[in-house]
Amino acid sequence: MTKTNMIALGVLVVMGFIPFFADSAWLAVGTTFLVYSVVAFSQDIILGRAGAFHMGHAAFFGLGAYATAILNTQYGWPILATWAPAVIIPMVVALITISPIIHLRGDYLLVATIGLNIIFIQVLENDLFGITGGPNGIFGIDVVRAFGYEFMSQTNMYYMAFILLGITLFIMKTLDSSKFGRAMFYINKDDIAAQSMGINVRYYKLYAFAIGAGLAGAAGSMFAVQYSAVSPEAFNVLQSIMFFTIVLVGGSASLPGVLLGTIVMFVLPEVFREFAEARYLVFGLAMILTMILRPRGIWPVKFGDIPSFLKKGTK
Amino acid sequence: MDIFLQQLVNGLTIGSLYALVALGYTMVYGVMKLINFAHGDLVALSSFVGLTVYTNMFADGGTSIVAVITVFMFTAAIIAVVGVLLERLAYRPLRTAPRLSAVVSALGAGLVIQNSIMLIWGPNMKIFPSDLFPSTIWDINGVVITFTQVMILGTSSILMIALYLFINRTKMGTAIRAVAIDQDAAKLMGINVNKIVMIIFVIGSALGAVAGLFIGIYYRGITFDMGWTYGLSAFVAAIIGGIGNIPGAMFGGLMLGLFNALISGYISSAWAETFTFMLLIIVLIFRPTGILGEKTAEKV
Repeated sequence: MTKTNMIALGVLVVMGFIPFFADSAWLAVGTTFLVYSVVAFSQDIILGRAGAFHMGHAAFFGLGAYATAILNTQYGWPILATWAPAVIIPMVVALITISPIIHLRGDYLLVATIGLNIIFIQVLENDLFGITGGPNGIFGIDVVRAFGYEFMSQTNMYYMAFILLGITLFIMKTLDSSKFGRAMFYINKDDIAAQSMGINVRYYKLYAFAIGAGLAGAAGSMFAVQYSAVSPEAFNVLQSIMFFTIVLVGGSASLPGVLLGTIVMFVLPEVFREFAEARYLVFGLAMILTMILRPRGIWPVKFGDIPSFLKKGTK
Repeated sequence: MDIFLQQLVNGLTIGSLYALVALGYTMVYGVMKLINFAHGDLVALSSFVGLTVYTNMFADGGTSIVAVITVFMFTAAIIAVVGVLLERLAYRPLRTAPRLSAVVSALGAGLVIQNSIMLIWGPNMKIFPSDLFPSTIWDINGVVITFTQVMILGTSSILMIALYLFINRTKMGTAIRAVAIDQDAAKLMGINVNKIVMIIFVIGSALGAVAGLFIGIYYRGITFDMGWTYGLSAFVAAIIGGIGNIPGAMFGGLMLGLFNALISGYISSAWAETFTFMLLIIVLIFRPTGILGEKTAEKV
């Protein structure tokens, strides 16, 4: 076991014991942190690994949340049964909406994905299908029920989110050493070279979007259950910008970096709530300063290093 | 037909404001390949600065041509200085960094400007005085045109023509175009790239300031977070026209303004942004670099 893995394991163990000494307000912050870090990792698959400038991720997060909310409150599905649609619907929507624009170059894709997010919000607010509850959103989402037990305490929510983060980390690790991960690595470095080596850039980028959207949807479902309510402003462009910034401030394609980014961008503003009005001013200054001092993020992946799975047998 | 003509007038008015803001985006993008996300907030800042300048200097004396011109010049100068500072502090240190780092820095700068406005002028909507321009109205066969609209159309046309001539007919304009094509080569030809970037920010911010003042005068109500809305529309306009291309930004702005006005007039303003972005996506599917954008292969 390497040193990094030891540190990671240590951090995970500490995080697993947080419910034993945190009060319920902080535990709620902790749960939301876990959910947001899952979204940040899913954003990182698209932005950090596939290198697609994607600034509409809150839409997929919101699709998962709304899938759970609508199926539960309007159609009476139990929460457990809504988990699969909450993953599949964002995936399908991502494939349908992203495939016509996947060929766009960097900044154009960025603006087109902002557009997708804004369209999503307007569909919710104008209540296009009569099931989204308009600007107020949907209230009264059920808790998870299984084996005759209701998982409704903050501690239960925390551990559910913790398990989701564990699954996400496992997926990220598996991706790294899979054919998909290697293709991503190459595409991110140089997509034209990747294409000329026979890698189907379009296919792999869409693949990244589908996985990212599915994970974000799972996190969205968790988010809807935690707050037992969903409303459009939790998924607007500002949230997308936050996920985008988390990845870049933390360090794209770097697991500890993205976690650190989520702490910096999400937990610290919660801590400094007393400064209420001025905190976003400080926040903006911090974004500028971080980028000037650490242009590749606080905890960057070492670029230029050949990953170990490519080095086998070449020593 | 009357609705159509009326929306045509309204659309051209809004469109020329979009075009003025879009020019700021497109010039910065052309030279630095950076989406200046803080530009919209500079526009909002100019509305507030203009309001303060006006109420402090001319509130009692009534309006005169001199007063209005002074307000415009003064505000444009202040916003130009802020724009140059923005470039110095937030963008210049990142010129050689990965491109997305500069995008995050721009987003941060936008947040700083927006929240500074909120801390200085408060979070509530401010109302612009209505007496900057005379309230003359022309009614041509049921189509209403206000004095403000004429002023907006006139001023923005003059500014756009002046900018076009400046970029295409002067030595400085040639230098700007050279830097946009290849910074290193321009440097070797003895062009001071830092100075050119500064000029870009002066012009872009000043044009944005004029647009911001007109937004205040035309819509009356201004809020600290309005920069994001106008900025995004103007940025979409710049992309539809072909970003980096100055006539493209003008064309894109007017086109988007007309499109928005017709959507609001015939369908519903609640869906305006959805249609805006659908238009953008459709344009990008068929013309990936915008309508007037040049088809350039990415450098390998």
